[in-house]
Amino acid sequence: MSNQDKVKINKLPTGVPGLDEIMGGGLPEFSFNIVAGAPGSGKTTLAHQFVFANATPERPALYFTVLGESAIKMLRYQQQYTFFDPAKLPEAIRFINLSQVVLEKDLGAVLEQITDEVEKTNPAVVVVDSFRTMVRKPQSDMELQSFIQRLALFLASWQATTFLIGEYAEDELRDNPIFTVADGLFWLRQTPERNSIVRKLQIIKLRGQDSVPGLHTFRITDAGVQAFSRTFGLTGHLKDPPSHRRLCFGIPELDKMLGGGVREGDSVLVAGSSGTGKSVLATQFIAEGIRQGEPGIVAVFEERPQAYAERATSLGLDLETPQKEGKLTILYLRPLDLSVDETMHSILDAVQKIGAKRLVIDSLAGFEMALSPGFRADFRESLYRMIFALTGIGVTILSTVEVDESFTEFPFSTYSISFLTDDIIRLRYVSIDGQLRKIMVVIKMRGGNHAKDIREYEITSKGVVILGRRLTNYQGLISGIPTYSDRSDSTEEPSLDTGIEHKT
Amino acid sequence: MNTMAPPEMRDLARRLLTYEDLAGKTSESKEAAILRVYEKLRRSLGEFVGVAGFQSLASRALALARPEAPSLGAARVTEDGYLQGLGETENQFDLENDRAGEGGTILIARLLGLLRTFLGEALTLSLLRNAWPGEAFDDRNSAHGRKA
Repeated sequence: MSNQDKVKINKLPTGVPGLDEIMGGGLPEFSFNIVAGAPGSGKTTLAHQFVFANATPERPALYFTVLGESAIKMLRYQQQYTFFDPAKLPEAIRFINLSQVVLEKDLGAVLEQITDEVEKTNPAVVVVDSFRTMVRKPQSDMELQSFIQRLALFLASWQATTFLIGEYAEDELRDNPIFTVADGLFWLRQTPERNSIVRKLQIIKLRGQDSVPGLHTFRITDAGVQAFSRTFGLTGHLKDPPSHRRLCFGIPELDKMLGGGVREGDSVLVAGSSGTGKSVLATQFIAEGIRQGEPGIVAVFEERPQAYAERATSLGLDLETPQKEGKLTILYLRPLDLSVDETMHSILDAVQKIGAKRLVIDSLAGFEMALSPGFRADFRESLYRMIFALTGIGVTILSTVEVDESFTEFPFSTYSISFLTDDIIRLRYVSIDGQLRKIMVVIKMRGGNHAKDIREYEITSKGVVILGRRLTNYQGLISGIPTYSDRSDSTEEPSLDTGIEHKT
Repeated sequence: MNTMAPPEMRDLARRLLTYEDLAGKTSESKEAAILRVYEKLRRSLGEFVGVAGFQSLASRALALARPEAPSLGAARVTEDGYLQGLGETENQFDLENDRAGEGGTILIARLLGLLRTFLGEALTLSLLRNAWPGEAFDDRNSAHGRKA
């Protein structure tokens, strides 16, 4: 059958930010769906968002309540969310209480009342909350199966998209006939992880279209449920593949060491111990980008945006003006129960909002701490997904990472994540002539040659300043305890730029 | 806890009673208009809060109204949410003191006040618009303030 011959299934907006992307565009029209989960998992809120996003006076929503939360309290609480529009009640959204018929009569009478209301109203959306309590009275399997079958058939025939909400346990998945009949099955979970609570959503079943598999984290805020796809989702983002441009730090000697700068779309790691100037370097990278007309984002975890901007001012870098002009966003991501998907979502939003080309993550340790404990266990994998996704749309990422200074090793990172990075710049302390001085070396550049020089630098009121020429009179610099080796008589003085191919 | 029904709720209740009074026959008693307002609220609210939900609200409203209106002494809300015993009292003095039908007004005002407490003004007015489609309710001249 050709695509032209196939019936087109319309997709309805779920009203849940992020969920449409996970579902490949929205909820299939006329589908019969189950929203399952424990009490407090957000089922009712999700259903309300769908109802408010789709109900109109011409094609209203019928919201049947049964025995669980009373409608009056439900409305009292739900109206606190920003999506709740009281003007939609009662013409576009009608709440009908079925408690009495459920308590006093059988499933046939319940079906009859639902049928009557649907025929009277011609709704586009029908919600039963909670369906579980509706069918809790003892009855035979055949009775229950028949009721569900007839309800599903009737509602689909009347062109209604349906949500049945229920407090189901996962071990019921195999035996309960409701899950067989359903076209879509959404499972909401909230699990404690040490002192944090993590909410996750899984689309176990969705007939007629693809959805992003796996567990997606979600959050319930003033705006209701917001879902964060494990990937970009199926609706995709505008791709802006990286070019072969080089992005400078605005530190001439360092840019020269990098062969003209880092390649656009690279992931750069700046590693060093406390006080070596990682954040200063990162700030200079962002500030230079703004100077070059490349908007940037700084994701900070260890200090507040105001403090970050003030520190930049002390280096002669103005981060206040570009923020006001929409060329820079400083994201403060401090909650201790974030997921990487949520962080990625915040960053992606900011990237799209200002058209960011450069991103600084300061620092990976702070980022890891901001995640809930369960996500910390998967930090490497999550970081991989995030870096892959962001660099894929042309964003150049500079991450800082603190490493323990060792005088026997020269580690690049405590996370074993160097495979995630295209370029690594290592900063470290060395003991020279009774002073604790700083050296810098470019360890790796995936996309080209770079200087092999070890250069001394200082942090001044102008930021990182690289001093003089490479340190030729010392051996064992990377150990941190070099030995002096006078080479002043040597006639051989290799070029500072040995090995560099300038490709600017 | 307010010992008196809020003035704006009394105004709103009077407005509904006037509307039903005008809609009814001239020979009807004051109680008939009160019962019609109550019945419209019962049907409209009962649909979404259920019979038991409405019965609870109405009982609470009656309990709040009684201290203000002794003429409601014999009134009661049945299990189905119907109002019975309005205008009946063993104490003739109470009834004579309530010739203006203020007891019914206070009961309706208390019921509307409860709705506003639980649902807020916007939703309460939406529900009233549904029950009285011909009547214009808006925030300024009904629930919040006095009629102009």
